[in-house]
Amino acid sequence: MDKKRNMLLTAVCVVVLFGAACFAQFELDSYIRRIINLCLIYAIIGLSMNLTNGFAGQFSLGQAGFMAVGAYVVGIFTVPVELRENVFYAVPMNPLIADIEMPLWLALLVGGLLSALIAFLIGTPVLRLRGDYLAIATLGFSEIIRIIITNAQSFTNGALGIKDIPALNDVRYIYIATAVTFLFITALINSSYGRAFKAIREDEIAAEAMGINLFRHKCLAFMLSAFFAGIGGGLYGALLGTVDPKNFLFTLTYNFLLIIVLGGMGSITGSMLGAVIVTAGLEFLRIFDEPMALFGMDIPLFRPGFRMVIFSILLMVCVLFWRKGIMGTSEFTWDKFITFCKNPVKYCLGKGAK
Amino acid sequence: MKMKKVLSILLASAVMVSALTGCGSDKKESAADSNTIKLGVFLPLTGDNAAGGELELRGIKLANKLHPEVLGKKVELVVADNKSDKAEAASVAARLIEKDKVVTLLGSYGSSLAMAAGNIVKESKVPAIGTSCTNPQVTANNDYYFRACFIDPFQGTVMANYAYNKGARKVAIVQEVSNDYSVGLAKFFKEAFVKLTGDKDAIIDIANYQTGDKDFTAVLTNLKAKNPDAVFAPGNFTESALLIKQARQLGIEAPFMGGDTWETQEFIDVGGKEVEGAVMSTAFDREKASTEEAQKFLKAYTDEYKSEPSALTAMAYDSYLIAIDAIKRANSTDPQKIRDAIAKTKDLEAVTGKTTLDENGDAIKAAVIKEVKNGKFKYLDFVDVK
Repeated sequence: MDKKRNMLLTAVCVVVLFGAACFAQFELDSYIRRIINLCLIYAIIGLSMNLTNGFAGQFSLGQAGFMAVGAYVVGIFTVPVELRENVFYAVPMNPLIADIEMPLWLALLVGGLLSALIAFLIGTPVLRLRGDYLAIATLGFSEIIRIIITNAQSFTNGALGIKDIPALNDVRYIYIATAVTFLFITALINSSYGRAFKAIREDEIAAEAMGINLFRHKCLAFMLSAFFAGIGGGLYGALLGTVDPKNFLFTLTYNFLLIIVLGGMGSITGSMLGAVIVTAGLEFLRIFDEPMALFGMDIPLFRPGFRMVIFSILLMVCVLFWRKGIMGTSEFTWDKFITFCKNPVKYCLGKGAK
Repeated sequence: MKMKKVLSILLASAVMVSALTGCGSDKKESAADSNTIKLGVFLPLTGDNAAGGELELRGIKLANKLHPEVLGKKVELVVADNKSDKAEAASVAARLIEKDKVVTLLGSYGSSLAMAAGNIVKESKVPAIGTSCTNPQVTANNDYYFRACFIDPFQGTVMANYAYNKGARKVAIVQEVSNDYSVGLAKFFKEAFVKLTGDKDAIIDIANYQTGDKDFTAVLTNLKAKNPDAVFAPGNFTESALLIKQARQLGIEAPFMGGDTWETQEFIDVGGKEVEGAVMSTAFDREKASTEEAQKFLKAYTDEYKSEPSALTAMAYDSYLIAIDAIKRANSTDPQKIRDAIAKTKDLEAVTGKTTLDENGDAIKAAVIKEVKNGKFKYLDFVDVK
C-alpha cells in the first residue's frame, strides 16, 4: 500500500517538476534558466560520481575525463557540416568524420556509450586497485584522455577548441535527462545490484564470501558512472556551445567530489541537493562580489573573489557539523516527509532525542 | 546538538540578511536607471587567469575615470568575475545582460571564456567587445562579438615577415600544444613564412610541449641537430623563458621569436640574461604612442599605479573607448543600435593607434615589435597593416 502510494507520489512529483521546467522555459529569463540547467547537469554528473564513489565505495577521480569524452562527441558531431571549415581553421577535419552530423540526442548517447567503453578498458586493469591507488590511477587516466584530445587535432581541433555547437538552453530537455538519470539510478540502487554495490563498499571480503562477483559489479558501477558522466558532459558542452580541453582539467573532478561529499556520499537525493547548493549557492553569493556601501562608506572587502572566501567558510562549517554531508547516507523518503508534514515539531524533537 | 541549532539559526539569518541587502540594492539600481548607462565587464578576476584579468580591469576602470559620461549620462561599470571558468563565464554574461541590463559587454581575457559567452550575446542581441581574446573563432560566425585586439593570424604573419626580412630562411617552430594561442600563432606563422620564402620546407621542424613543462632538453636536442636560422616559440611566458634558457645552455644560438604573452616582467625575471635578444610582437609601446588618447592614458596610468602600463591594459582601455564611441554615434542606448555603430567603427583615436573594425568585427591595427635588451623591453620595429 505504502509502496504504491510512494511511487504515485514520485510520479506526480516528476510530472509537476516537468511543469515547473516548462514554466521556467517560457517565463524566466535566460540567466535563471542557465543556472537551473547547470544545476541539473551537475546533478547528473554528481549522481554518476556517487555511483562509484558513494555506493560501490571505489574512490575514483576520473569524472572529468569521461565528461570530456561525452562533450567532445557532442562537439564533433553536432556542429553543422557547413560551419566546420570555420571551426577547424588550423587543421582540416579528418575526412573520416567530416561529413557525419548527428542530432543532439544521438550524439549524447554515443558519447555516453563511448565513455562506458573507455571505462571498461580502463577499469579492467585498474579496478584491481583499491583506495588511494585507484584514485591516482583514474586521475591519471582522465588526464590521458585530455592530453589525447589536445593532440588529436584533426579530430578535436586540439587546444583551439570547438565552437558553434548548436546551443541548448532548454530546461525541459535537460530536466528530462536528469529525471531519467535519477529514476534509473534510484531503481538500480534499490535492486540486487545496488545491494551488492553497498556490500562491496562495506566489506569486499565479506561481499565476495556471500557470492558477489567483485570485479563484475565494480566494473558495472564504473561503466554506468562513466556513461552518465558522458551524458552530463555532452549536455555541458551543448549548454556552453563550445568545448576545449582546458575545460576538463582534473580540477573539474573536484567540483563534483565537493558536490557528493557535501550532499552525502551514498545518497542520491543528497547529490541532487549538493549540486543545487553548490551551483546556485555560488551564484547567490555573487552579492558579496559587488561593491557594497554601509552608512555611505564602501566596505573594501566587497570585491570580486570575496564570495569564494565566504563559500569556503560555509563549506568548512558544513564539514565540521555534518561530517557525513548534509544527507549522510540517508535519503529523502515520502514516509519521512509525510510524518514531518503531520507534525513537524514532534518529528524534529523525536529525531533530536535519538 | 544545541550547537547545531544555534548554527543553523545563524546561517539562516545570514542568508536572510544577504537576501534583504540584495533586494535593497535592486531598488537603488532601478531608481538610478534613467541617468546612467551600464556597461558590463566580465573578466577572470580569480582563478588561473586572474593576473591578466586584473591588468585589464585597470584599463577599463581608468578609461571610465577619464571618460565618465556619454550622451550626458553617467557610465556605470558593472564588474563581474568569471573565475577563469567557462561555465561561470557563460552564466555571468547572462547575468549581466538579464539582471543588470547592461547595454554592452566588455571582456574577456582568454578566448575560451569569450567563446563561452558568445552564444549568449548572440541570443540576447547585446554586443560584446573582447579585450584580449585573440582566437579567430571568437568573432567568427557571431555578429555581436567584436574585439579591440588583433588576432592570432595577424600576429603570426607579422613575425613571419619580420623573420624573413631579417634574412632567416629555415625556421623551427616550438609550440605549446595545449595552448590555443600558441597553436594559432604557429599555424599562421608557418603559412605566411612558407609563402614568403616560396619554399615548402622552410619550416624545418615543429616541436610540441605541454603547458607546465619544465624540462625541454629532448625537444631542444632535436632542434639543435636541425640548426635553424631562427626559432618561433609562442607560448606562456614561464615556459618560454625556461625554454630559451635551456636552449642557450645547450648551445643553440638561433634567435627566439614569440608573441605578446612574453611582454611581462616575469619573462625577464625567469629567463635572466639568456632571454636577451628575444623578439616579440605586441600591440602597444609608449615610444610609438602617437595618439593624443595614448598620452592621456600614459599619464593617468603612471599617476594612478606608479608603473608602466602593459599592452593588455591598453587594449582593455580601447575596448571601453570603442563602446563609448559607438554609443555616441548611435545616439541611443539600444543594444541593437549600439551593435550597428560598433560595426562601423573607423579610425577611432585609441591608445593602441587608430582603430578600425573589419567585417568580422576584428580590430585592424598596427603591431609593434620589441626586443629584450639589458633586462628591458626595447622598441624595435613597427609593422603597419597593409
